[in-house]
Amino acid sequence: MDEKTRTRVGGPEDPREGLEAVVALRRTLEALEAAQVENAFIAGWSWAKIAEALGVSKQAVHKKHARRIRARYPGEPPGRKGRDL
Amino acid sequence: MFTRFADRSRQSVEAAFEEARMLGHDSLGDEDLLLGILRADEGIAAEALSSLGVTLEGAREESEEMLTDALSSIGISLEEVRTEAGDAFDMRIPDNRRIPYSPLAKKALVEARKEMRRLGNNCLGTEHVLLGILDNEDGAAVRMLVRMGVAPEKLEERLFEVCGRAAG
Repeated sequence: MDEKTRTRVGGPEDPREGLEAVVALRRTLEALEAAQVENAFIAGWSWAKIAEALGVSKQAVHKKHARRIRARYPGEPPGRKGRDL
Repeated sequence: MFTRFADRSRQSVEAAFEEARMLGHDSLGDEDLLLGILRADEGIAAEALSSLGVTLEGAREESEEMLTDALSSIGISLEEVRTEAGDAFDMRIPDNRRIPYSPLAKKALVEARKEMRRLGNNCLGTEHVLLGILDNEDGAAVRMLVRMGVAPEKLEERLFEVCGRAAG
């Protein structure tokens, strides 16, 4: 990357770049969690099992993800039979 | 908060929230306010920006590139994360999650009002919002503009040129 396109030089002497990386990572983590919960759901995992794997309560997972996933899969999601949302 | 806001600048803030949501920003940044101005279009600010080659598409891409660069600075490839997670991976903030104003976005809007008074106007237009954004010298919006090859001083100058033409 050349000087023109980059306003800041990276490295530990530049706290801003470090903090920006945290923000970028946080946003990416949120998207990744949403995607992997959705993947597990489609694979037929129960909320309890997903919660266990994430190390959080079932209520927490349900509260954070159920509505979004339900909206994305209005019918029965593939690989998920006879389970309630 | 929106007292004296012109319809267009109010719309630009609404559009900014939509842009932030789409890009996965968990708070409304001052760069999103800039995107909102570009999306609401047709104002003095949008004219100044487009005359310097700043388009909505270009700014969106730059914002995504800033995210990619920030991740790669700590050794993470967004592309790999995306590939691993599959089709379900989407940076977009879900509709049921509210996103707050970031401190810098708030500051830009406060400064916008001051700019309006300073210029002796009594209606807050997108040009004032843009000036407010430029007041955040170290904000993401200014850094984004610089990455796109637009110097803040140049943009401010162009803004006053367009304003002058609009007035006279």
